[in-house]
Amino acid sequence: MSAPPPASLAPARPEVVTERYPPRRPRWIELATSADHKVVGALYLGAALSFLVLAVIELVLMRVQLIVPESTIISPEIFDQLLSAYGATAVVLFGIPLVLGLIAYIVPLQIGARGTAFPRLGALSFWLYLAGGITLYASFLYRPPDAGVNPLPPLADTVFSPTAGVDAWIAGVGIAVLGFVLFAINLLATLHTRRAPGMVWRRLPLFSWSATVIGYLLLVCGAVMVAACAMLLIDRQFDGVFFDAGEGGSPILWQHLSWLFFTGAYLVVLLFAFGAISEILPTFSGKPAFSHRTIAGALAAIGVLGPLAWMQNMYTAPIPVGFTYFAMAAAVALAVPIGLLLFNWIATLWGGSLRLRAPLLFALGAISTMSFGLTGELAYSVIPVGWQLDSTTAAQADTYYALVGGAVFGGFAALHYWFGKLTGRTMGEGLARASFWTLLVGIHAMAIPMVLAGLDGQPTDIYKYYEIGSLDEYNLIASIGSFVLALGILLTLANAAYSVRNGVEAGADPWRGTTLEWFATSPPPPHNFDLVPDVRGTEPLRDIRESVRRRTETCEPPSPLEQPRAADAAADAPEDSSVA
Amino acid sequence: MLAPLARVRNSLVLAAALAALALAALAPAAHAVPFAPEQGHSPNADDTTTVYWVMFVIAALIVLAVNAALIAAVVRFRHRRGREPARVRAGRGIQPRAGVALGALAVAIFVFGVVFTARVRDVEPSGPEGLEAASVRTAQLGIEPPAGEPQPLRILASGQQWLWRYEYPDGTFSFYELVVPVDTTVLLTLDSTDVVHRWSLPALGGKFDAVPGRDNQTWFRADEEGTYEGQSAAFSGPGYATMRARVRVVSVPEYEAWLEQQSADIRAAQTAVQQRIQQLAGQGAAAAGQAAEVGQ
Repeated sequence: MSAPPPASLAPARPEVVTERYPPRRPRWIELATSADHKVVGALYLGAALSFLVLAVIELVLMRVQLIVPESTIISPEIFDQLLSAYGATAVVLFGIPLVLGLIAYIVPLQIGARGTAFPRLGALSFWLYLAGGITLYASFLYRPPDAGVNPLPPLADTVFSPTAGVDAWIAGVGIAVLGFVLFAINLLATLHTRRAPGMVWRRLPLFSWSATVIGYLLLVCGAVMVAACAMLLIDRQFDGVFFDAGEGGSPILWQHLSWLFFTGAYLVVLLFAFGAISEILPTFSGKPAFSHRTIAGALAAIGVLGPLAWMQNMYTAPIPVGFTYFAMAAAVALAVPIGLLLFNWIATLWGGSLRLRAPLLFALGAISTMSFGLTGELAYSVIPVGWQLDSTTAAQADTYYALVGGAVFGGFAALHYWFGKLTGRTMGEGLARASFWTLLVGIHAMAIPMVLAGLDGQPTDIYKYYEIGSLDEYNLIASIGSFVLALGILLTLANAAYSVRNGVEAGADPWRGTTLEWFATSPPPPHNFDLVPDVRGTEPLRDIRESVRRRTETCEPPSPLEQPRAADAAADAPEDSSVA
Repeated sequence: MLAPLARVRNSLVLAAALAALALAALAPAAHAVPFAPEQGHSPNADDTTTVYWVMFVIAALIVLAVNAALIAAVVRFRHRRGREPARVRAGRGIQPRAGVALGALAVAIFVFGVVFTARVRDVEPSGPEGLEAASVRTAQLGIEPPAGEPQPLRILASGQQWLWRYEYPDGTFSFYELVVPVDTTVLLTLDSTDVVHRWSLPALGGKFDAVPGRDNQTWFRADEEGTYEGQSAAFSGPGYATMRARVRVVSVPEYEAWLEQQSADIRAAQTAVQQRIQQLAGQGAAAAGQAAEVGQ
């Protein structure tokens, strides 16, 4: 009780005095020209959620086709176009940008920065991404891409895909990923140079820590994909032979490069969800993270080991068997950091006082859903299982478990958690709960029959299947499940759209958070903080709250060390009372 | 006011959960053993099934443990008035211990994986009922048996949009349906004449890619006569979903008879084509002349 407070404290109470700035120009010009990380983040989020709607429509159309065997509702050509657009949209235009949007908005606030290191680079990254998305979708006006989720040469060559759709795919994905690389440069520079005083790496909030790992991942994997897209474009348009086996090139090379990127993209989504969960669980259980250091270490280990397992997707390719052992070693080793994360999350919940609000609910859903996907991934990483089940709907269901768990449940957990900070209003709890249960029913109803169909040998990406065994039942249930899943996604999107204007006022800190983004107003002013506090631990805002509470609630005489400060406070006191 | 609303909400939640369970239960009901892979009919497929079940049990245990812990935490530690969270952090030593346990699991899975991958890749010799000429000694995929040794039955499977073509040792070929003798080691070399295809026949071992310019290999030894269905598993264009494969396993005499018949049929067809070409030679010249005129 009588322990003396530290010598120099963070400010006595949050001093947020900013008034709203009057907009100088029309709002759309402000949005289009702003380099503020919050505007960039909001743009990323808006675009990502719009592309999510497109991805959901494409998924539903493909599942409609697969309701009955040998269906002829959609022609094979149209199905392949939907499939190709869906793959690029789900990963490159929705998954990664959703992650980057929240990172762009939240990370500078969390580390107590007034902005990013290279604000214009951040803005450029968004506009490149949007240009990529438009490039891809503009092809629907002439000829959409049709070479599959991952266009493997020689199928992606001009010989077998002579139309411009594949060029649109390459250009769109290449430009968008180039934007992500620039984003990573800005993010890493910000994280390395703009942290608040006292925020050493070991005190970095876990979401920002996962953002650091994501930044390095995108820098490596994104750059590789940009290069691969350039090579494929050269092959197609300028008689290159990078991937042409007949001329000394290698089709396997594209598989290495593209799988490194797709593995990186998968990890970006997962790491983002891991980081957001690691913030949300402590906040809503009222406990600190069970071990900040272990969780941070596990996130870094996943960032290193994960990309090394890229050849896990190539067990069936003609590569030396030693390569596949290497991939299996990296993939199986991931069990250690992921297991530690699961252990630490449950230990963080255990003994807490769980407020089951929407963010926690979605975070628990994310852990539960990802537990299916990640253990499935562990099973597929053992080579014979991979040989048996790779590229069947069983493996696809596993990816759905991981990515719907990460991007949809995890992404929605983060969205509900930070929505109040972004808009000043919280999202409705009723719709959030409805959406949560709908999603939970949907993902299992979709994925379990897909696993069973995959065990019976149904491959992915087919526009029709034959009536063998119970494939028709499985596909019917999976289709119903995907519609339920789509409904759950739309419920949350509707909730967000409604709550932007009509939600309950959030205030600066609706959840009693412990990190610095809750120190700023909601939404924060352009410069984020009038005053950046000193950071002395992993829960800086809680430290501030505690010191305020101590000062206001205890009437102990100030310790000798504090006297000068106390004198200041006494001098301020009359002013305060006159204001009141 | 609030109580009925809460009851309605709770019953909705319950209904949703029951619907999910019902859907989940309905699907596996079609199987005798839920989540069983297709019945294997070759030693490598049997080994694969073993690995699958071991990994399935490990994965299922982890999933059950994680989800049970989550539910238990929510039930036990839900916020109630007056409950104060215990602000505990990890003690010394607990994380290293958890890490070592997980590390041991990972090492065990890796070693298990390597041992069984080698077993699946080991090409076993043909059985007593198999083709005598083809009785390779134990070897690994990709390692050629010495020239003097007994050789396996070598078949080249060539993927093309959207059909498999099989070439037998005597130069005979067939499309779509591969005919092989029972109990005989078949070494399948995969290649492609156009785009990447993926050979997939779950009952007779896993999947392997057919990539242009780069040979790939797999093997099987069918233990029972019958037909086994498979389907190409790498997206290869608009006809991809129709690119199926069938292996018909027959007894050795039947195989030899079939091979003879097939090669006779091919010869007869080639002769017929030759005759037709000669027959058309005169008309052909005229037709070529017409085509040239149309071209101009």
